[in-house]
Amino acid sequence: MDVNFRKIDIDKYDEDVLLEDELYEADPRDPAQVLNDTRTKVNAVRSALSKGDTVGAITLVLDAAPYGASVEEAKNLNLQTLTSILNSTKASEIPSIVKSLSQDAQDTLMKYLYKGMALPGWGDVSGSVLLGWHEKLTEVAGTGCIVRAMTDRRIV
Amino acid sequence: MAPQVFPLAQIPVTSHAFNADRSQVAVSLNSNDVTIFHRQGAEWAAGETLAEHDKLITSIDWAPNTNRIVTSAQDRNAYVWNPTVDPTTGQTSWKPTLVLLRINRAATFVRWSPNEDKFAVASGARAIAICSFDPEGDWWVSRLLKKPIRSTVLSLDWHPNNVLLAAGSADMKARVLSAYIKDVDKRPSPTVWGEKLPFNTICAEYASHAGGWVHSVAFSPSGDALAFASHDSSISIAYPQHGPTAVHTIKLSVLPLVTLIWTREDEMIAAGHDCEPFVFRGGEQGWELAGSLDDHKHSGLSGSGAGKGVGSGVSPVGRLNSAAFNTFRNADTRGLSSMPGSPVSPSGGSTLGGSGSGESELFTVHQNTITEVRLYEGQIGAVNKVSTSGVDGKLVVWDVASVAPVSVGGLAGKLGGMRI
Amino acid sequence: MTYTNSESKEVLLNPLTISRNENERVLIEPSINSIRLSIKIKQADEIERILCHKFTRFMMQRAESFIVLRRKPVPGYDISFLITNNITDTMLKHKIVDFIIQFMEEVDKEISEMKLSLNARARVVAESYLAAFNA
Repeated sequence: MDVNFRKIDIDKYDEDVLLEDELYEADPRDPAQVLNDTRTKVNAVRSALSKGDTVGAITLVLDAAPYGASVEEAKNLNLQTLTSILNSTKASEIPSIVKSLSQDAQDTLMKYLYKGMALPGWGDVSGSVLLGWHEKLTEVAGTGCIVRAMTDRRIV
Repeated sequence: MAPQVFPLAQIPVTSHAFNADRSQVAVSLNSNDVTIFHRQGAEWAAGETLAEHDKLITSIDWAPNTNRIVTSAQDRNAYVWNPTVDPTTGQTSWKPTLVLLRINRAATFVRWSPNEDKFAVASGARAIAICSFDPEGDWWVSRLLKKPIRSTVLSLDWHPNNVLLAAGSADMKARVLSAYIKDVDKRPSPTVWGEKLPFNTICAEYASHAGGWVHSVAFSPSGDALAFASHDSSISIAYPQHGPTAVHTIKLSVLPLVTLIWTREDEMIAAGHDCEPFVFRGGEQGWELAGSLDDHKHSGLSGSGAGKGVGSGVSPVGRLNSAAFNTFRNADTRGLSSMPGSPVSPSGGSTLGGSGSGESELFTVHQNTITEVRLYEGQIGAVNKVSTSGVDGKLVVWDVASVAPVSVGGLAGKLGGMRI
Repeated sequence: MTYTNSESKEVLLNPLTISRNENERVLIEPSINSIRLSIKIKQADEIERILCHKFTRFMMQRAESFIVLRRKPVPGYDISFLITNNITDTMLKHKIVDFIIQFMEEVDKEISEMKLSLNARARVVAESYLAAFNA
């Protein structure tokens, strides 16, 4: 008996299926615009840091963070900016910083912590630094914040 | 008043539905059958079994006025069960009628319409079957709502006007659709959801906040607002008269909610993976978490855990208050490795499920995910008591008025975030 | 519970990695009705590498006794667990978490003990061998 029909991928002919790029709303900004915005932001972050305003700097980095496809350069830039702040923050200051962030910023920070931990070879990020931030952030924002890092397809 | 706890079984209660006077409850115990329990004093006794489905039953609804039960299952079928009196014995038994749903995937959820002349069946076939009775053919006929659903429909709720239907689905959207059936419904008066409402009109579509599957949807008692709970641990309330983007979203610090019910126009109860029913209050101006029906301090369930350093206050990280979590944290932060119990043997797997050691009992009444919350006492818009069923096999009746403050860290204070 | 075909991307969630460094990491792959958890166990030297490999292999050959254990780990990891909706229906959620944590602690302890006894044995062998020359 001919059973080749079993090898036909019938799902291919399914029109209603959700495609990968339909799982989230794409950033309305143009990729070049995103990169530009991120670069501008990095300068603002530096000046906030020079004034010792860590909370302000982190809030800036986490606000309108680049996400989705075709903005890899902007994503990397934003990640580097954030990790440099995370690395240079004293452990004793982390709880108060995390508490003063908005809920949206907390969710975005959680996404970056997991992104950092998933990076092969670590780059210049220290694992225990990220785990330290993760612990404090979870104490404040709870398991709900972790669940949102899983569900939100707007990957940073 | 303390909640009334009824351990019905050692297996999960997938779904539960009471009859009108609450003397009987139909439950599906994670199987192909429905079991009807009768109230006997302070207990529930198992009675008749409704066996017709040949796959897992997913949902049950019991119409209070017409006294009919409808069931949906993974076998892609729905049955309407009518009570029939045997003329010789005088005994009442439930007689099934198969409903041709015309879906090619599991039926996931079922609800009678307010007038009980229609019911809606959600399914994995990216469709909702709206079923109405055809007296000429003497059968239930179904019409499918398909567009624009893109994934499995997980929950449904009827608008009080018997025409509009809310649907939550795994495509991360909550929608309001028209399920108007010409031969059944009178022309509905205009609502905040629209004026002309032919079948399959899309009246509203809301995306979950951070890409979560929409587990539960519910119209407010007036029908003018819609609430939905999604897997991104958020709950959203939409007010369409203020425009399509007028949505309040509360992000929670706990695990996702999977079921919700409005108790009043300004109050809701929602429960899910965190094993306790949370109370939300608000209105058009905004919503916030008001507390929990589960008062951990008085439930007396923390007893055995207290001695192991677990009971000292609620852990700041939601439900992560088990003994193992603390052991793990001690090992991680302080290098302590005092493992309770014996080394893992190959039989270790089988001891996982039982109540076993008891050292890591949860603080909540339900010991596992709550599957469904239902109206138990009162009317729509003035609910006094609700019932919950859980994966732990328990059925619990809660007094809506006894709200305990929520002490889970990070929950208080940071809520009511509006997204308009 | 929910029918899923290979195209239904919406039922898979973002995988998460938790790690202290390149050699100690956990991968969590969630979906609508199951979760796969993979662990890379710390292996400081060649002996630990061999012991870890032998030990996890021994466990995984008996995977059916552990229910949640997979027979083969995800590439790049030493051991994988698969927790399905059927398992969460029959076992308490927090007990499953307990079990996996306890399991991993035991594996860790077992490997350390095996390494200690291996070293002790090597010392005894070396001493008795050298004793022959001292005589």
